Amino acid sequence: MSIMENNGGSVIAMVGKECVAIACDLRLGNQALGVSSDFQKIFPVTDRIFLGLPGLGTDVTTLKELFRFRVNMYTIKEEREIEPETFAHLVSSTLYEHRFGPYFIEPVMAGLSKTPSGGFKPFIAATDLIGCLNFAKDFVVAGTASSKLFGVAEGLWEPDLEPEDLFETISQTIMNAVDRDAYSGWGCIVHVITKDQIVTRTLKARMD
Amino acid sequence: METSFAITGKGYVIVAADTTAARSIVKMKTDEDKIKALGPHLLMAYSGEPGDTVQFAEYVERNIRLYQIRHHYSLRPSAAASWVRRSLAESLRSRHPYSVNLLLGGYDEASDEPKLYWIDYLGTMTEVPFGAHGYGSYFALSLLDRCVKKYLVISGALICHSRYHNPDATLEEGIETLKRCIDEVAKRLIVSPSKYKVKIVDKDGVREIEL
Amino acid sequence: MARRYDSRTTIFSPEGRLYQIEYAMEAISHAGTVLGVLAKDGVVLAAEKKVTGKLLDLAGAKEGGYGGSGEKIFLLNSNVIGGVAGLTADANSLINYARTAAQKHLLTYNDDIPVEVLAQRLCDMKQGYTQFGGLRPFGVSLLYAGYDPHYQFQLYHSDPSGNYSGWKATCIGANNGTAQSLLKQEYKDDIEIKDAISLVLRVMSKTMDSTTLGSEKLEFAVLTLDPETKAPKAKIYRPAEIDALLQSEGLKKDEDAEMKPAQ
Repeated sequence: MSIMENNGGSVIAMVGKECVAIACDLRLGNQALGVSSDFQKIFPVTDRIFLGLPGLGTDVTTLKELFRFRVNMYTIKEEREIEPETFAHLVSSTLYEHRFGPYFIEPVMAGLSKTPSGGFKPFIAATDLIGCLNFAKDFVVAGTASSKLFGVAEGLWEPDLEPEDLFETISQTIMNAVDRDAYSGWGCIVHVITKDQIVTRTLKARMD
Repeated sequence: METSFAITGKGYVIVAADTTAARSIVKMKTDEDKIKALGPHLLMAYSGEPGDTVQFAEYVERNIRLYQIRHHYSLRPSAAASWVRRSLAESLRSRHPYSVNLLLGGYDEASDEPKLYWIDYLGTMTEVPFGAHGYGSYFALSLLDRCVKKYLVISGALICHSRYHNPDATLEEGIETLKRCIDEVAKRLIVSPSKYKVKIVDKDGVREIEL
Repeated sequence: MARRYDSRTTIFSPEGRLYQIEYAMEAISHAGTVLGVLAKDGVVLAAEKKVTGKLLDLAGAKEGGYGGSGEKIFLLNSNVIGGVAGLTADANSLINYARTAAQKHLLTYNDDIPVEVLAQRLCDMKQGYTQFGGLRPFGVSLLYAGYDPHYQFQLYHSDPSGNYSGWKATCIGANNGTAQSLLKQEYKDDIEIKDAISLVLRVMSKTMDSTTLGSEKLEFAVLTLDPETKAPKAKIYRPAEIDALLQSEGLKKDEDAEMKPAQ
């Protein structure tokens, strides 16, 4: 059985109008046996960047701690917060360092990057398990339910959604996609990031 | 064949593991202690590849004790669990990985609450209200889902679903629940262990009990 | 007599001294003063800058995320601030090592590094340079101001020999003897953070070489506990904040103020 499907889990990120949203399921399993319904896969990197790590559970924790290390060193030395594009490249190079013995994770990033005029632009990105970057303009998906996520997202997404509408869209996308996937589910969590605040909501989902 | 369970309750963690040491069809020993006390408020039940288990468990025990001696205070359960997890994650990509599954139960004196961590041989770690390893887990977990009552509240949204856990269960209630798990495994698992060792960790420390 | 035994760290003199380490400490006694005071609800660090001047480009420092010109006082981790006295280049190397050590601890234990453990890590490394390798010791003394849940607020001092000790109030660099005796007289065990701040500024104004006392010459930092989150809060003051603080303490001295009485 594939290593990427051992623990299960999925993540999706979407772009809206001056906002981004990122969502994940909460399941951690040992093949077919569910072990935890509280295994978060999305971690805050800075106030404006979130990182989603679907894949092998042990690598989720390892990578989250490794990126915390590297971003802390960056912040303390540069005396400023890291920008989303820079962070995406940090993720990519970290994964490529292990090109011939990779981490079994397909990271998804969502954030707001500063524009030269001082405003904020929505940013999403995803990489494969060896660090090939994908800077999509609409949405990025990863995990065991990725094919289902693609399907629903393609149907529901439209450009320039306001934060509240983006929340509804991403919620419906993830909930319905993971319901079709045996290895994802057991609860969902959604983060909507705007320039002023981050709103985190846990969805009332099917717990089967 | 090796089974271990752990349940948290009001101010305690109960950790139970079977006491059979077997090789192929032979029960070599029926009084093996598979739960190590890593510190005054930390217990670890281990199972997995014979040899790896005791080697790794003793490695963890000695290193946790070394930290305590060097720095004059014991590691909190969360810090000890992170150290153990990292050791397993690093071993995973080495020449010969340790194949050991663990249940780490402890009492966090700083925040006055019990903590339980489920860790597998890959270094997957998650904090759980109750957990199990081995074939017994297939029977015990769903039983614990039903028997242990609580409403989960995450970020202000009340989530009621078919899973319950009671963080306020008394020690007696916890032991009752544990007995039900053991009986279920005895009833349904083809080669089930006959005896279990049960240890409890709370604010007063670690102690063993007879079921 | 010392001439024959001082060119290598790895040999003792007949009197049982390691000259290279003593010479390193001598180098530090010429460097800018760093003062630290432990209060019951926080720790205060202040330092005198030696590298100053009109032509120095400090534009980045004014708005910097953590303030300070990065010459004497540095953030080592969210719960520890470091103050350095001695060779700047050596200090930068040690600061980098300390930051990496703190992050490595976080990586392994998922917990902020306890202050004494960080001091020990640096000292273990510095001791290596006094016993083998044939490399000279670091010409830096450090003050560590930090907080951890085990021993609350702490202040440590480490020197080139790789030795460290915990202090209630201490001083390193130039004029540290004067400062130390002033601190001995005025320090009270249950001192509160705001009194510690005044004490530090008063002692600095008496021991600093320069006639002016302002943000061009002074670096200042305070470590306290956030009242709501109960997490350690490290604040390295920006130049404007230092001036405002000095003003409120009535210690701000400019060039012009000194010249006026001469009229």
